[in-house]
Amino acid sequence: MISAIKGKNSWVFSGLIIFTIFSSILSITYGPATITSTDIFQCVVNECASPMHDMVIWQIRIPRVLVGLVAGMGLACAGAILQNVTRNPLADPYLFGIISGAGLGATIATLVLNDQQSLALPLAAFLGALFSVVIVFGIATLLRNMSHLLLTGVAVSFMLGSISHFILYLGDPFATNRVIFWLMGSLTRVEMFHFYLIGAMVLITLLTIFALHRQIDALLLGDESAASLGVNVDKLRLILLALCAAVTATIVAYCGGIGFVGLMIPHIVRQLVGVTTMPLIIGSALVGGCFLIWVDVAARSALSNVEIPIGIITSAIGSIFFLAIMYRTRKTG
Amino acid sequence: MSKLLSVESVSWSVEKQDILNNISFDVTSGDIIGIIGPNGAGKTSLLKCLLNQYKNWQGSIKLKNKALTHYRPHELAQIFALVVQNAPPIFDLKVYDVVRMGLLPYKALFASDNNDDKKNIMLALEKVGLASSQAKFFNTLSGGEQQRVLIAKALVQKAKILVLDEPTNHLDIFYQHQILQLVKALNITVIMTIHDLNLAAHYCNRLLLLDKGNLVSDNSVDQVLKPELLTKVFGLPCHRDNELHSGVPRVYFYPACDTSMNNPSALNSPLLNSSKGEYS
Repeated sequence: MISAIKGKNSWVFSGLIIFTIFSSILSITYGPATITSTDIFQCVVNECASPMHDMVIWQIRIPRVLVGLVAGMGLACAGAILQNVTRNPLADPYLFGIISGAGLGATIATLVLNDQQSLALPLAAFLGALFSVVIVFGIATLLRNMSHLLLTGVAVSFMLGSISHFILYLGDPFATNRVIFWLMGSLTRVEMFHFYLIGAMVLITLLTIFALHRQIDALLLGDESAASLGVNVDKLRLILLALCAAVTATIVAYCGGIGFVGLMIPHIVRQLVGVTTMPLIIGSALVGGCFLIWVDVAARSALSNVEIPIGIITSAIGSIFFLAIMYRTRKTG
Repeated sequence: MSKLLSVESVSWSVEKQDILNNISFDVTSGDIIGIIGPNGAGKTSLLKCLLNQYKNWQGSIKLKNKALTHYRPHELAQIFALVVQNAPPIFDLKVYDVVRMGLLPYKALFASDNNDDKKNIMLALEKVGLASSQAKFFNTLSGGEQQRVLIAKALVQKAKILVLDEPTNHLDIFYQHQILQLVKALNITVIMTIHDLNLAAHYCNRLLLLDKGNLVSDNSVDQVLKPELLTKVFGLPCHRDNELHSGVPRVYFYPACDTSMNNPSALNSPLLNSSKGEYS
């Protein structure tokens, strides 16, 4: 495990770790309420100068930064694993239909059950996301072709999306707005509890990947080659896909739809530290965490009176990033 | 020489179509066995049964007197190493990373590489003559070099039997000989499928001739490469002589429409004489 971050990669990882710590601390100073760095330092190490500072720092900003960090880590790791496991550089956790499944769950909870409680929406979204993953897995198993998993995911996405849109079209406009805003992704309503939950899921994901890193590497050379090295390819793929689905569903349930992180971050990290699992995962976790922290800072600071949904920013950056990749490939290829 | 592998009455079928039919043979330690036969004869399927990659084959395969099905996957991987060239990897794997995969059957969960592992990887790369290419991307190597990297991976795997599926496919003549010379020089048991019968004659000490899932012949090169037998299996007239320098059997096939198989004058056609430099 340690060997993955030795050698010339050690400089990259040292830089990333320092940048992650720096980002986490610095991002606490950004926000609509003017609180100086001294106030924040005093609040963290000693006692806050005012109850308002105490509330803003401990109940809004710190949970938000921590949830942003672990959500970014989880999405980037899920993307990296999914891309390596399916050997498809365009694989993304959302291609399982997770976002449309979560959307359907949220739609049903908000409109059909007419539930306004804050607990029902994340729970319904989580169940919707898992429902969609189970359908995708079920169909892929029925087709006896796990390589069709992503295509099945796209088909199921459209199917669940159309059901959601139909319910939203017939539903109450206010509730419809609520679902649509939720789908755009935001860290506005997160609490420390969400950090513990998402953090635990990310930790389980990372530990599983660290344990299985050699098996995952073996898949890079093809299923047949991996099987000849003693890897149970179907079982390994199922475990990892289920893990990616669970961590993504947990993040989507509390933060809404944050697209492109899982797609974009692993591409950047591969250029920095290589394609094998250990450096890729550690790098993706660090870069993904930092990325979402700073995107959230931009979301709450870019416009003075209103906060931009985080999914809008990640999608905008992600699409430009992909056009840039295509341009670069055209020039070099 | 001790018996390493014993295959008895192995059959395999897909949707009621027989792919392998009652195949039996033994593999002795140190054998270099070439599995030959036309397309669809069942060569690759036989390899996959030996590696236990198909689950529903019938019959018995014993490895060191223990049923193949009683081995756990990682134990099998410590005995068999597969060298197969599939589609190139999508991502930029380095040569070192590919060879490193050979450690997998010996490593527990979470385990990282120790200094001995690194030495073994470099030693394997030196053996195949690619130590200086360890940091290169696998995808940028030539077909022959890629095969050598995969053989280095098999060396790190410390396998007792090297299994190669069409190792000379897509390689030019120089690399075809280079790969097979390397395989022979490793001094381990080898089972490979191979299309080129003359290459098989050069490097194998035993040939298994398959046709439509049946084992037609299992014998020495001299006994298997008989024109009558090959004509029957490959459906083309065949002529055989021996190489001048090595005395190794050499076979030629020529289109049936040109001339009768009993007429060696067909060997004077410009196509076959191109090796004399007429087209240079």
